[in-house]
Amino acid sequence: MAKKKTFPRGVHPEENKEFTSHKPLEVMPSPEKVFIPLLQHFGAPAIPLVKKGDEVLLGQKIGEGKAVFSAHVHSSVSGTVAAVEDIIHPNGYPVLAVVINNDGQDRPSPEIKPCSNPLTLTAEEIRQKVREAGIVGLGGAAFPTAVKLSPPKDKPIDTLIINGCECEPYLTADHRLMLEFPEEIVRGAELARRAVGANRIIFGIEDNKPDAAQSLERHLNGFPAEIVLLKTKYPQGAEKNLIYALLHREVPRGGLPFDVGVLVQNVGTAKAIWEACALGKPLIERAITVTGPMIREPKNLLVRIGTPLANIIAYCGGLVDHARLIILGGPMMGLAQSLLDVPIIKGSSGLVALKEAYLEGEFPCIRCSRCVDHCPMGLVPTQIVKFIQFEKWPEAESWGALDCVECGCCQYICPSKIRLVHWIRLGKNYLIKLKRKKSPS
Amino acid sequence: MKDDLKDKAKSRELSLIIESSPHIRDKDTTPKIMYRVIISLMPAVATSFYFFRWRAILLILISTASAMITEVLCLMARRRTLKTVLDGSAAITGLLLALTLPPSLPPAMAAIGASVAISLGKQVYGGLGHNIFNPALVGRAFLQAAFPVAMTTWIPPVTLKVDVATYATPLGNLKFQNAIALGTLTPLKDLFWGNVGGCIGETSAAALLIGAIYLILKKTIDWRIPAGIILSLSAFTTVFWLINPDRYAPPLFHLFAGGLIIGAFFMATDMVTSPITRAGIWLYACGIGLIIGVIRLFGGLPEGVMYSILLMNTFVPLFNHYLRPRILGERRPKK
Amino acid sequence: MAEKTRKQEFFKGLWGENPITRQLLGLCSVLAVSNAVINGLAMGLAVTFVLIFSSLIVSLIRKIVPNQVRIASFIVIIATFVTIADRTLAAYFPHLSKAMGPYVPLIVVNCIILGRAEAFASKNKVSRSVIDALGMSGGYFLTILLMGLIRELLGNRTILGYPILGKWFSPWVVMLLPPGAFIMLGLIIAISNVIDFKIKERQKRV
Repeated sequence: MAKKKTFPRGVHPEENKEFTSHKPLEVMPSPEKVFIPLLQHFGAPAIPLVKKGDEVLLGQKIGEGKAVFSAHVHSSVSGTVAAVEDIIHPNGYPVLAVVINNDGQDRPSPEIKPCSNPLTLTAEEIRQKVREAGIVGLGGAAFPTAVKLSPPKDKPIDTLIINGCECEPYLTADHRLMLEFPEEIVRGAELARRAVGANRIIFGIEDNKPDAAQSLERHLNGFPAEIVLLKTKYPQGAEKNLIYALLHREVPRGGLPFDVGVLVQNVGTAKAIWEACALGKPLIERAITVTGPMIREPKNLLVRIGTPLANIIAYCGGLVDHARLIILGGPMMGLAQSLLDVPIIKGSSGLVALKEAYLEGEFPCIRCSRCVDHCPMGLVPTQIVKFIQFEKWPEAESWGALDCVECGCCQYICPSKIRLVHWIRLGKNYLIKLKRKKSPS
Repeated sequence: MKDDLKDKAKSRELSLIIESSPHIRDKDTTPKIMYRVIISLMPAVATSFYFFRWRAILLILISTASAMITEVLCLMARRRTLKTVLDGSAAITGLLLALTLPPSLPPAMAAIGASVAISLGKQVYGGLGHNIFNPALVGRAFLQAAFPVAMTTWIPPVTLKVDVATYATPLGNLKFQNAIALGTLTPLKDLFWGNVGGCIGETSAAALLIGAIYLILKKTIDWRIPAGIILSLSAFTTVFWLINPDRYAPPLFHLFAGGLIIGAFFMATDMVTSPITRAGIWLYACGIGLIIGVIRLFGGLPEGVMYSILLMNTFVPLFNHYLRPRILGERRPKK
Repeated sequence: MAEKTRKQEFFKGLWGENPITRQLLGLCSVLAVSNAVINGLAMGLAVTFVLIFSSLIVSLIRKIVPNQVRIASFIVIIATFVTIADRTLAAYFPHLSKAMGPYVPLIVVNCIILGRAEAFASKNKVSRSVIDALGMSGGYFLTILLMGLIRELLGNRTILGYPILGKWFSPWVVMLLPPGAFIMLGLIIAISNVIDFKIKERQKRV
């Protein structure tokens, strides 16, 4: 057998996907009340279009993303607006949100118009529909997809990569999507390919999901697409590493994938693109994995955007009593939550409940070089952290602090349990602030 | 609204932990690494008992105890938590130092050496992780300078059954007694199993290699360091052996004689004092091998493992600074 | 800054501005000849002699020496006293003089002496300069004596040639060698730093 494609370095955390990998996606009933933040994406917040007391329909646009880097927000239920107020965002800060009392009838908005033959749409029409549907990258970073589908003219895109790696431990939602919605994913990918004018599609899937690859394979007929199995290794699904693994192209430092003629989309995003174009359906629900040893009945769910975590946990049988750590996203990059009334947003890929966080002390760095040997970006985390701790900003930058993708490999592997990613995040924030000060543009 | 408050109260009751990602950690820890190194040295300890009997065990115990006591005293003086004594690093230093001492050394000297190793080799720099030089070798270098006679007086292993007061090590034999011309070069078999004179823990290459293989399989030490040392030393000695086999010993002799195995696998691989990048590791390892070769072939001393490792230790911060790996997507300007 | 009292002027050389442990000046002779107490004594006395008299003369002529040639004239003055010290030593203690090697003549370029001449004596009254020189040389003298005591004791079991420690103690040869000097000096500086830090902390609290 030929050697599986992969990227250099990286780690192999315990996968723990067996909790949910065999469980079909279940549609979770919509909750009595949804909390829909107006900022669920990378960029500027959307501007609210409704006020307290207004009646809203399923899929109605309730927030408009006016800026280029923004996205529309839609109601995920039908009912009346209870409030437009600040709530706690999963990232931990207050954000303006529309709170809607659900009437349970799911009366669809007249804005939702199906299209009989989406494969005849032009690139501009596809972009328009994607923008209207408020689609953002569903892999986690939540970058507005319409922006991604409009690359600059001088950087032609030749390859579209659909990311089905799902390298985060525990998570299986993308896996289930590929098994249950292969046709939608392939067609959505085809639409994205047409929108950017690429000439081929590559599906990158880790070799722990051969069934997902087979499922997609059956629907590839007639499309310029191929499936490539990749070695199971974290972070195989990180954009820059995935591009390197599949094409041996390196995204330049500080650059974006279109600098090397590539566009990367998550499988969930591909499905959403298809639904937006074919059914006119905006992004109002997403697939998440609710799992972890502290969840009584781990499940893969299709949930409405804005559903509070408490409802989801209750639907999955509740928590085992001594759960101490609830993570939105995967355990390697997800955010620990302190309150269970924060809602699911577009970028949430999973909900993992663990027994205990690692809170014990750190040992001194013994320069074992494991962080260097495992950093997928080729950085020297221990040295960067030292520069940041001693506030040597120019050195920290020239050693690549801003190239860090915060994948967590270094902190995972560190035998001295040093909070490397934590420090690098701190340093990155400070460096970005410094840069803004220097160039006020 | 009341429901909301109840929910909030509920999640407070849960007292969830907020920590930045990643939320899962590898199981390996620094103390585990340290104890694994100690375990890997046990075959060498066993052979030291076999060849030198209770003298060896006494030296090992005294040296280790002295290292740990000094660590406690230094930590107390520095007002640090005493818990870190148990992380095993002080014990390794004491044990490694003992294994590189001549069996006839008075135990008091071993205690002084271990104490210097910990205090001047490690704690003055700020403790574990901050030292520049391998602490055990600092201790040994101090003893070598402080007690030059005691540190170069050797006795034969009990298994040899020769009744002499002093006895030359294979390398000393080579350097000072014209062993090649007289045909008394120590046979490889004895070198490999350790049936020769020398430091208590470094005579038996076989016992050390068992531990070393365990560490490499467990990925506790980087195989590149011993590989680089062995390759460069072999290359260096082979060249001279081919030029004049009547004057220079064969490369295999150099590999198994003296402290090369313990130095290459256990001393040079000390994580704190070896480079963190691949390029640095190769340079460091090859530098050690070459300096050993130069000292053994042309220097005034029969053995050069200790000084060459200490010398290359000084370059490690430089290697770490100038040989950083290429960042993904980085284009280096061509010179 | 308020002017120091004479007492303070003297004591600053012993501790607060000790030339060895605080200013790290003139280390070369301290490292080289502190391997025995007697050498340290002789060196300390020689430096004291040169420092006091050169400070005295430099202070006396401070107003008549043009600025451009001051360093040259300081060196001439210092060299004169060094020559006196060196020849005296060679005449009356030939063994000691041999043991000290080139380090007595090298006092000419010792930073402490030129440093005090430039930084203090050339700007201050004669009486003050002499007190400063006394303090500074006292600091040098005590430090080199301490080094000599420890190194001779550990390296040779003796003090001034008299055995102090019994036969049970095997001497640490390293202490007589250059590495021993570096280790001892490093430790002395470290310990005095710690003490100084503690003193300052206590003063802050008061």
